[in-house]
Amino acid sequence: MTDFLSFGFLQRALLTGTFLGVTCAVLAFFVVLRRMAFVGVGLSHAALGGVAAGVVSGLPPLPAAAVFTVGVAWVIGWLGDRSEISEDTAIGVFFPTAMALGVLLISLSPRYQQDLLGYLFGNILSVRAGEVLPMAAFSVVTLGLLGYWFKELLFIGVDEDAARAAGLPVTPLRYLLLTLLALTIVAAMRLVGIVLVSAFLVIPAATGQALARSLRGMMALSVTSALLSVAGGLWLSWLWDLPSGASIVLLSAALFFVAVGAGRLRS
Amino acid sequence: MTPSDSSPAIVLDDIYAAYSGRPALEGVSLEVSRGSFAALLGPNGAGKSTLLRIVLGLVEPVSGRVEVFGRPPGASDAPVGYVPQAVSLPRGFPISVAEVVLMGRYGLLGAGRRPGAEDRRRSAEALDQVQMGEYAQRRFQDLSGGQQQRVLIARALAGEPELLLLDEPTGGLDAGSRARFYALVCDLQHERGLTLLCATHDLDVVAEHADELILLDRSIRLQGPTREVLHDRMVAQGYPVPADHRHASHGHGPDHHHGDDTGPPTP
Repeated sequence: MTDFLSFGFLQRALLTGTFLGVTCAVLAFFVVLRRMAFVGVGLSHAALGGVAAGVVSGLPPLPAAAVFTVGVAWVIGWLGDRSEISEDTAIGVFFPTAMALGVLLISLSPRYQQDLLGYLFGNILSVRAGEVLPMAAFSVVTLGLLGYWFKELLFIGVDEDAARAAGLPVTPLRYLLLTLLALTIVAAMRLVGIVLVSAFLVIPAATGQALARSLRGMMALSVTSALLSVAGGLWLSWLWDLPSGASIVLLSAALFFVAVGAGRLRS
Repeated sequence: MTPSDSSPAIVLDDIYAAYSGRPALEGVSLEVSRGSFAALLGPNGAGKSTLLRIVLGLVEPVSGRVEVFGRPPGASDAPVGYVPQAVSLPRGFPISVAEVVLMGRYGLLGAGRRPGAEDRRRSAEALDQVQMGEYAQRRFQDLSGGQQQRVLIARALAGEPELLLLDEPTGGLDAGSRARFYALVCDLQHERGLTLLCATHDLDVVAEHADELILLDRSIRLQGPTREVLHDRMVAQGYPVPADHRHASHGHGPDHHHGDDTGPPTP
């Protein structure tokens, strides 16, 4: 373990993973409550279109992906507000469209295909020193916003109509949640990649829910399982030379199954 | 209080509403007096829920005037409580009864403010009023449908409303449970001086308690004091109550148990 922590790139990976893991775990709480898992899947794949647009146009891929993914999230939210089209249908339209756009753009510039692999499957070990602080700042701001609006987001998640009747700003908060989800997906692409990030936005909270008897317990277990997954996944990937993103998500899934088993034994 | 204490709690004047061009309400005009219990009756698709959602400000009518305590919906100083047909949570979501009721206070708190001791005391009082105090620490989902409805009433009461809107609150409950539910609601109305507007199919049960009946089928078919309406043959002619209405199902969420007891809880 001492050897593991003696490498600078692993220290940066662990630090960045810790911040993003906690952020994903707290967001996952609302993703599970609002049954937004498919939104997470759709947005993470839509992010590919943004990355591709950035790569091909020479813009920084992450900011380009952030703008693109937030735009898609808002359109999904706007369409979801219309009774004619359900949110699921809107995602079902944008998910393949954005991915197809990404594939098309990348095919126009074959020399960038290798870059794209890094975003598809993630490589947290490549986090540079200058990236740690912005990632940490992003996590702190996101967690601060979620904490500030926690009770309102909880009420909206449980009963949106009653929350509106109580005078809560439901629509702005729905868009805030979609925006934070989109930005976290883009930020976490470095951690586990586009393909696996949506899993990290569901599994920690599902693990917490399987064991917890209270909301606080669910949140605490969600965050703990995310931190264990990041630290353990990184350590296993270093130990056995495995892909870091896949190791983190597989460990997260293993913790989920252990939690489900323990929950069943208890009941 | 709003412009005049003698003004009606609710005024709808020539309301037209539509979904995707399909009319839901046509030329609806009605007034609900302060402190009265008005029952809104009609078959499925009659526009009952639409009317409630217009009063709540959740649906914008195509035309017509809406006032709640003399002001547009959502602009009144008087808190409005809302009791939905059911609340559908993800299976196993560990929110407690006390936490659900506390949400009723969120509309009174500002953004970023956490509920304090006074909020918890008021919530506990509301829970006691619906005879569910001993269930405070139970998981909401572990309760029967009737008990959940009591908790949702407590949540609405915790917000200290002057107007309480109930949207088919007894769907799926047996006849005895429905009778006990409306008796409880009626007691609460007298204790707190509430104005009640309740959308329901339960003509036989609600008629024992309501001051006024409003028979709706996109437009108002009949409206007046309960005794007069019941003695009007139009009820039988223009507004037949289905023989099997006790068994009607109205699209409850997966966690809403059917045919259970709302009577005094037996832990």
